[in-house]
Amino acid sequence: MKILVCAKFVPDTDHLIIKESEGGKAVIGDLSEYRMNRFDEFAVEEAVRIKEQSGGVIVDVLTVGPEPSKDVLRRAMGMGADNGIHLAVRGEQYLSPMVVAAGIADYAREKDYNLILTGAMSEDMMNGQVGPMVASFSGLPCATQVILLRLSSGRRNDQSEENPDASSDWVAVYVEREIEGGNREMLEIDLPAVIAVQTGINEPRYPSLSNLLRANKQEIETIALGGDNSVLKAPEDLVSTIVPPKMRAGRHVEGSAAEKAEQLLLILHDKALIK
Amino acid sequence: MVNKTHTAVIAAHADGRVLSETWDLVAFALQLNGGRPENIEILVLGDNIDRLAEEIAGKSGIDVRAIFCTGLTGYSSEVYLSVLARELEKQADLAYVCAPHNSQGMDYAPALAARFGAACISGVNGIFLEEGTFFFQKDIYGGKIKANMVSHTATTVLTIQSGVFKLDPERQASPGGVVRTDARFAIDRTRFLGVRKGGGDCAGIAEARVVVAAGRGIGELENMEIIHRLAELFPKSAVAGTRIVCDQGWLPYNRQVGVTGMTVAPDLYVACGISGASQHVMGMRGAGFVVAINTDRQAAMFNEADICIVEDITTFIPLLLEIYQQQYNDNAVPQAPGNDTSGG
Ligand SMILES: Cc1cc2nc3c(=O)[nH]c(=O)nc-3n(C[C@H](O)[C@H](O)[C@H](O)COP(=O)(O)OP(=O)(O)OC[C@H]3O[C@@H](n4cnc5c(N)ncnc54)[C@H](O)[C@@H]3O)c2cc1C
Repeated sequence: MKILVCAKFVPDTDHLIIKESEGGKAVIGDLSEYRMNRFDEFAVEEAVRIKEQSGGVIVDVLTVGPEPSKDVLRRAMGMGADNGIHLAVRGEQYLSPMVVAAGIADYAREKDYNLILTGAMSEDMMNGQVGPMVASFSGLPCATQVILLRLSSGRRNDQSEENPDASSDWVAVYVEREIEGGNREMLEIDLPAVIAVQTGINEPRYPSLSNLLRANKQEIETIALGGDNSVLKAPEDLVSTIVPPKMRAGRHVEGSAAEKAEQLLLILHDKALIK
Repeated sequence: MVNKTHTAVIAAHADGRVLSETWDLVAFALQLNGGRPENIEILVLGDNIDRLAEEIAGKSGIDVRAIFCTGLTGYSSEVYLSVLARELEKQADLAYVCAPHNSQGMDYAPALAARFGAACISGVNGIFLEEGTFFFQKDIYGGKIKANMVSHTATTVLTIQSGVFKLDPERQASPGGVVRTDARFAIDRTRFLGVRKGGGDCAGIAEARVVVAAGRGIGELENMEIIHRLAELFPKSAVAGTRIVCDQGWLPYNRQVGVTGMTVAPDLYVACGISGASQHVMGMRGAGFVVAINTDRQAAMFNEADICIVEDITTFIPLLLEIYQQQYNDNAVPQAPGNDTSGG
């Protein structure tokens, strides 16, 4: 059983500085702090759990991005993934999800992955497109916003005791995907399949020191995105960015912390929200 | 020519009811077409969709193609993908496919775009026309920034954020026509096993006059106590949180506000350490008055707030509680910060 997890390196949004220039155009300041996309941590964790629960599972983790993106692979390997694959792109240009997905599907072709996992979306671009697009390019079924995942074997369940490679029996995956109103859709999907997991499906672990040491020594497979072929042209572009408009009054209370607290209490009192 | 092209709207429905996202999509498509219903068609897929198709045609004033998929009781990505790809391939001049940015559209739209080699723009919440080119706006970086996107392909697939584009309730339109077709499809690799009902118990949050909500900024479970103490200042209050807080186990899921949680409309919403991602904000837009406390002056939550306070909640809230005790609460003995004043 081979699992491919797709994980992205993203800037830390909390510390992202926006400089507003004329006409409301937003200039993104120094993006110095990066980390693994939090949504993807759940995908890595899910793969590592599957590996721990049965023998014969190999977890590859793949990232598409510029050179520093490799950090994501080390972190995932620190969490327990076996191998890292870096589909390298140069520079900081806009990366279309379609181009990324085509690159991943290209890489995965003929590698016989039984399961491809992604997060629900990336924290920076917030699209959630790569998973379903990889599925489409690979001709695989797909489910998104998956909050529960169980592999089901074609023959007997739970052969892990007698058969160390129980994973070779897996033919389908049972998933529950979140839909509106707190409800869940229950599906059974034939493997191979692409599953985009939703946060809360598990509790992602921290990388272990021993795994990190191993990861640091291990070679990372690096391939240029799109290979020798000309890279698929981005079908869309991000032309400019703006600071979002205020939807409400947005009055900033200034002063020392105590002054702010006093003013806030006064405002709430005047509005009869507190006694 | 921008408005000589065809726009397909994919209706969203569940449990035999038209979802409100459908009307938002209609409003968006009309805006894309300069307000004219010509060149727009709404596609409805499903088993028993006669009544849905009539309702949509009646209320939207736009032509509907009812695509009968016998045996398709709910949503299925496999069926939507194959049927939509086949139906839309036939469509000459297909410029836009508008899908909801919900659990259905987010599931099939990117795959549909990949199949067509069409640009896909997700979570569109703004649109403007400049020199003959449409710019589609969407949130990036947790909503701190909006991106202006353009498409380079003849066909563009868009998922539209709900609650942004609104169909004018006063709009007078003669009903659109309904054409019926049958679609053959095979469900090969996904078997639908039903819907597990959730929701229901919402811990009284929907009825609360004041909701004090915690985000990841609370930092750790121990700090939830100050959120509960803050809530105690207000009569008829409740504590809620973001999805992240519930994922961490700091609050049960029946206290999650947002698209996959609850929608609330209290008189006062206090957002503590919440970044303001649209998936959260959509659950609290109806609040009367909003106070946001965040260490990041540029947090998106401040764009949704009446009062903005740039402070660390873990120190600011205890200070606020202390000042309240001193200045407002006549009956109480002033307490030093950190002392537990809850329980009463
Ligand atoms: C399909 C889908 C559905 C979703 N549904 C929901 C939903 O229903 N509800 C929901 O909430 N989310 C939902 N999300 C997740 C959503 O996109 C965001 O990830 C989430 O809302 C962020 O939660 P947060 O604000 O708590 O955390 P973060 O985004 O991490 O924000 C934390 C904030 O706290 C601030 N902060 C940090 N420390 C402090 C401090 N000491 N004092 C003050 N401020 C501090 C930071 O500046 C930051 O702004 C969904 C996502 C997807 C993909």
